[in-house]
Amino acid sequence: MTPLLEVRDLSRSYGKVQAVRELSFAMARGQVTGFVGPNGAGKTTTMRIVATLDVPDRGDAFVDGVSVLIEPRITRSRIGYMADQFHPYPNLDVLQYLDFFARAYGLAGRKRLQTVRLVASFCGLLEFADRPATGLSKGMGQRLHLAKTLLHDPLLLILDEPASGLDPRARIEFRVLLKELAAAGKGILISSHILSELGETCDSVVVIEKGARIVAGSIAEMQQSVRHEQEVLLRVLRDAEAAERFLLTQPGVSQVTVDGSTLRFLCTADDQALGELLARAIGAGLSVVEFARTEADLEDIFLKTTKGRLQ
Amino acid sequence: MSTSEVVAAPPAPEAPLAEPGFWTRWSDRMNPILVREIQQAMKGRAFVLTVFVALAISTVIAAAVAGNHESMPRAGAEAFNAGLATLVPMVLFVVPMQAYQSMRLELRAGIVEQLFLSGLRPRSILFGKLMAALVQFALYVSVMSPLLATSYLLRGVDVPTIVVSLVLALVFCIAATSFAISSAAQAILPAMQAFANLGAALVLGIGTFSLVAYVGSGEYSRDLPWLLRSNEFGIVMSLIVGGGLCSTALSLLTAQSFLLHSFENRSTGFRVFMFAMIPVAFGWTWIFVPATYWDGAVPAATFFLCLLGAVFGVFMTTEQRALSPRVFAHVPRSPLLAAIAAPLLPGRDRGMSCLILYFALVGLLALCWWPPAPPAPSGWTYREDMFRLLLFTGAYALVYLGLAKALRSRLPASVMGNHVARFLVVIMLFAFCLLPVLIDAFTRGRVDWHWGHAMNPFWTIERHAFRTRDQSPNAVPIALTALCAAAALQLPAMLRGFAEVLGASSARQRRQAGTAVQSAGT
Repeated sequence: MTPLLEVRDLSRSYGKVQAVRELSFAMARGQVTGFVGPNGAGKTTTMRIVATLDVPDRGDAFVDGVSVLIEPRITRSRIGYMADQFHPYPNLDVLQYLDFFARAYGLAGRKRLQTVRLVASFCGLLEFADRPATGLSKGMGQRLHLAKTLLHDPLLLILDEPASGLDPRARIEFRVLLKELAAAGKGILISSHILSELGETCDSVVVIEKGARIVAGSIAEMQQSVRHEQEVLLRVLRDAEAAERFLLTQPGVSQVTVDGSTLRFLCTADDQALGELLARAIGAGLSVVEFARTEADLEDIFLKTTKGRLQ
Repeated sequence: MSTSEVVAAPPAPEAPLAEPGFWTRWSDRMNPILVREIQQAMKGRAFVLTVFVALAISTVIAAAVAGNHESMPRAGAEAFNAGLATLVPMVLFVVPMQAYQSMRLELRAGIVEQLFLSGLRPRSILFGKLMAALVQFALYVSVMSPLLATSYLLRGVDVPTIVVSLVLALVFCIAATSFAISSAAQAILPAMQAFANLGAALVLGIGTFSLVAYVGSGEYSRDLPWLLRSNEFGIVMSLIVGGGLCSTALSLLTAQSFLLHSFENRSTGFRVFMFAMIPVAFGWTWIFVPATYWDGAVPAATFFLCLLGAVFGVFMTTEQRALSPRVFAHVPRSPLLAAIAAPLLPGRDRGMSCLILYFALVGLLALCWWPPAPPAPSGWTYREDMFRLLLFTGAYALVYLGLAKALRSRLPASVMGNHVARFLVVIMLFAFCLLPVLIDAFTRGRVDWHWGHAMNPFWTIERHAFRTRDQSPNAVPIALTALCAAAALQLPAMLRGFAEVLGASSARQRRQAGTAVQSAGT
């Protein structure tokens, strides 16, 4: 089956700066993919190329099998691009703003009116319908930006740092909107610096650095890949020193740290070996009250896979 | 606070949507940009304020005219002059500057890119802005129309004068607005922003002040009736209207190019425009200029086309060399069509081919249609003089543009490199013209032409293209040699430009064949 988005050997340079180098990845329909990388990694450049706003030096990207290079107009009808900045027009209210873009997308008559109201309602903007578009809060502004992006019912949403500058409540609201969109079958490619949020929203992630792909895949696969030396937490009721001595004698255990009655250590063991380790600890008389693997989150994956090099 | 707490309450049941009203249905046929500009203007203060000021001025002039009982025709003429002098800044400065501001707003933080992602093409955006300007023009004219009607009723001016004045105002308004939009669009490149601001303010400001002075002094209302009665009316009006429309087309083409391809090498539109100017210029001469004037008009049209070619040539030969990936992907599949289209496709090597073709076509048409003028006092016929002028112009154009190409190849292959090269070409021309003059002045104490000034096209042409055969016996062979040598030096690069296009064509064929095989397999 044709992937919803396929980026193939994409390269783009600006003068001597190689913004994107031979980047390849793909995402399926209905999938939410996080696009992660340090500042200057080439995320925005890649997104702009996929959105047909920039042209690669080499390579191509395909949205639903359509080349962004050869068929930019068809591509545009299938994508919704939400840039990291939003500046609405002055002297237009919210509905007029959406109405203008609906006209620009070629919607007419009753269908246009219906679509504008539907999208405004979905994004929770109806109660602000008569408010000037420039007078909205940052959070509502992002909703308006998203609403505008949804007017033509795109297959793929490309969201560049949509949550930047939002307060926690607005972020959560925005995340809920994205989940609803994903549930409705939209593919979403989203970049953000707030990795914990991406972790909750995304099915898969692409990590890039210096324009090149570092790692790509589902979050579960990533967690598995960085799990070869996982952190384990052990909490004992008493005698943490004895527990530390015990751990240091065990095979595959390293970097034991003690914080009160809680011990953390790195372990290269698999699930079965971990179970055996717990059994030995109890057998050695340790009063274990908590024994758990610390799951690698997106921040761990990011830190472990990137080196933070800028260009 | 959990996520579920934050989720917005389910929307209240909505009232059924009413049938679209007349305005909604009617506005569906209009350009979305025009609809939005009108909506914004209705809610904004600047537009209302300007209309109010125009109305106030109109009322003051009307009151002043009403107080003048001595001579009705004179009062009418004064009312006309005052009304037109008020209308000129409105349509030549206020309307274009509002379009300029509106375009700048679109460019702010990539709003215009959001428009490109919709169904709107840059052309629609620019026409929307232009139409919005025309609506404003109509409004200002309607505000001033009672005054113009009063001036007619007082027998100050006749109807043709008013109609021609309004037509001229419309043409100037369209040309000025498209220039303003184009200047604003160029500000999409940060380095061009200062030039765009300065250029728009200076050109529109100086143009407006000059016209206000011309109209306000009463010269205009004396000149126009004379022109209306003279035989040259058709020539002058067609020249102004045609010039206005051509400059509008060029401005919109420039704006379109900056809006959509500021990062990409796409100059085909300009090359087509340049070739389109050949039938426009010669066609205008043929249709509007009486045959008795052709001995002056044909050389003038030829010279205009040569000048246009030289200016466009600077832009064409300082582009990036290669086709952009998007253009590469769209080269015609047929090798024959690709080869025919090659001179029109972007790239400085193909730009040189395009320019040689253009000069050859202009020269051929001009020589075929040259007026049978009487021999000049020097003994040369007019045709031979102009042939020499064309030969020299062509030789200098090729030499300088070859240098421009060489200069461009040493700069980075970015759009900024193109702009830097264009500035350097102008500096190079000035240096070649001025430095020998300065050296002569300081070392010899006098300045006269010698071989050190050979790179000064203006002086050399003036000295050697129009003098007698005795004074410059080797001028023609030298110019011909320079022309051929410059063209021969460019030949490998031009062939490389063609080869790239043919390569792109065959790549497209292969891609098409691959897609066909894939489809058959599926």
